[in-house]
This record gives sequence, structure tokens and C-alpha cells, in this order.
Amino acid sequence: MQKETDPLNLGTLPAVAPPNDGWPAIRAGLEKQQRNRRWSRYSLSTLAAAAVVTLAVGLYLHQPVPDTAAPPPALDSLIALSQQLETRVRTYRSEIGALPMESLVYQVELEDLIAQVDEELSANPDSAELWSRRVNLMLDLSGLYQNKLRRDYSRMASL
Amino acid sequence: MVRTPFEIELDDMTLARARRGDLDACERIYRLFQQPAFTVAYRVCPCRELAEEICQEAFITTFRKLRQFRGDAPFWGWLRRIVVNHAISSIRKRPKESPVEFEEHHASTESASERIGMAMDLESALATLGAEDRAIVWLHDVEGYNHLEIAALFGKTESFSKTRLSRARSQLKRLLAADPPGQTLHSAVAG
Repeated sequence: MQKETDPLNLGTLPAVAPPNDGWPAIRAGLEKQQRNRRWSRYSLSTLAAAAVVTLAVGLYLHQPVPDTAAPPPALDSLIALSQQLETRVRTYRSEIGALPMESLVYQVELEDLIAQVDEELSANPDSAELWSRRVNLMLDLSGLYQNKLRRDYSRMASL
Repeated sequence: MVRTPFEIELDDMTLARARRGDLDACERIYRLFQQPAFTVAYRVCPCRELAEEICQEAFITTFRKLRQFRGDAPFWGWLRRIVVNHAISSIRKRPKESPVEFEEHHASTESASERIGMAMDLESALATLGAEDRAIVWLHDVEGYNHLEIAALFGKTESFSKTRLSRARSQLKRLLAADPPGQTLHSAVAG
């Protein structure tokens, strides 16, 4: 009997089995991503600390009379850099579109990590360490798009 | 209420293990849902390679975002939404395909219809629809999406969904009714 919701009985069409087992590729992607996450967590704090120290020292040397009442200049620079990277990634997204599958796991992971940092920043907006971590993550995300552009360019150049 | 092939219960233990990144639990989820996921992807984009790619991307997204699954609705619905979103996004990225003309389609599938019968008739007719029409008729009639949900998926209005559904059904009916005697959907069933 035909149902009102499915008058043509499309639901009677058989289920379709995938031609290949997709699990090994998915598992490899997830494992890569887990390794990347472990590495990110370990190295990010080191990178963040290094970036903050470098910026602070650089800015200190160029500003002989620091204003202690204002937020540290390093923080402003990091926020500005984060905004610039945000704009750059948005532009890449609109111009390049979706990333290839092999980059997808990294993209999702980086966006997750950025969301985590944003959550921490909402509670602690003046933390230079958090802004520095955000800048590093945005640089990584922007790098994914740059790699895609580089690959597309090489492919076109080889034609 | 339409019962979708996706409606598979997942035990809490497997879900909890997968949330913690346990790959064996992820594999169990993949094995449980691979067929309904592939079926939806394939019905929306009738190309096996593309459907395979859509499924892989959808499962990777699912496992990556599993921590964001709140558990206030069945897991299968959440997974299906991800698969459907990937499939719709895939048809948007592709250049507009022109639906196959009926005469052409009929001539090319005649012997196949004789061999396989009803399912092949319906399947071939479905494959001739334009990508959006095919997705809408499948999501509405088989997966039980309502017009509001379909409109949201395509970023359009409810009337867009209603018009496209009606057009897709009419086209399918026309294609199925035009089969010569001995090869029609109904004679295949009766015979």
C-alpha cells in the first residue's frame, strides 16, 4: 500500500552498501588528528610562552617609558594579529571553499581548539598567554589554506 | 511517522567510549551506520565515489565533534544531519547537472529494467532527477524530513521545498508510467 508520505514507494528501494570499507581511511585520519592534538597541547604552551617573552622583550626595548596603567602593549599586538588572521582565514574560506579531506581533520581540530581558547578568553580576556595561543592556532589554520592554494597552483602550473 | 533506515539504537557505553576517543567504539559506530549513511549519500549524489567521500568526511566530522553531542536527541538523528549536510554541501559545490531526458534514459535502461524489475525502474527514474529535486524527494519521502527542515538545509523557503517536491514526484510518476507494457513498475509487480 502506498503511503501519503511516500506515494511512489521510494522507501522500498534497497539500501546501498558502500563499495569499499571506509573505516581504515577514517581511522587513519582520526589517529593522525589524535597525534596532532597531543603534539599541539604539548607544544602550544611552550610556543605561547616563547611568543609572549619575545614580544614583551622586543616591545620593552622599543618603549623606554612603559605606561603601567595601560594594558601591556604585547597584548594589543596579539589581539590585532589575531584579528588580522581572522580576516585572512575568512578571505581564504570565501575564495577557496572547502579544504580537501586530508586537511579536514586538522581544520576541525584547530577550530575546536580555537573555540576552547575563546571560551577561556571570555573568562580571562586580558591573558596574553591565551591570545598568543589563539594567534598560533590561527596561523596553523591559515597555513592549511595556504597549503591548499600552493597545491592548486602547482597543479595548474604543471598543466 | 516515517521510520528511517537510520533509526538504529546506539548503546550509551559505546557512545561514551567514542566520546573519549576510543577508536574501537568509533569503529563500532561506523559499522552500525555505514549502510544507512552511504544510502542517503548515494541517493542524494548518485555516484559511488562521491557518496563514499561524503560518508568519510561525515564520519570524521562526527567523531571529531562527538564531544559537542549533547545527547538530548537520538544519536542517529545527529549523525544523519551531518551526513545530509555534507551531501547537500557536495551538490552545491558541483556544477548544475542537467536532468537526463526521458527518451534517452528509457532507451539506455530498457534491458536493465527487464533484468532487475521494479527497483531498477524506480532507481533509474530517481537518478534522472536534478540533484536538488532528487535530494528533496528522498529526504521528504524516505527520511521523513518536513518542508521546514528541507528549506533550512537549502537556505530557502518552505514553498521552495513544496514546489520542488511536487515537481520531482510528477516527473517520477511520468517516467514510471511511460514504461512500455511488460516493463512498468506495476506490471513488474503483477507479473
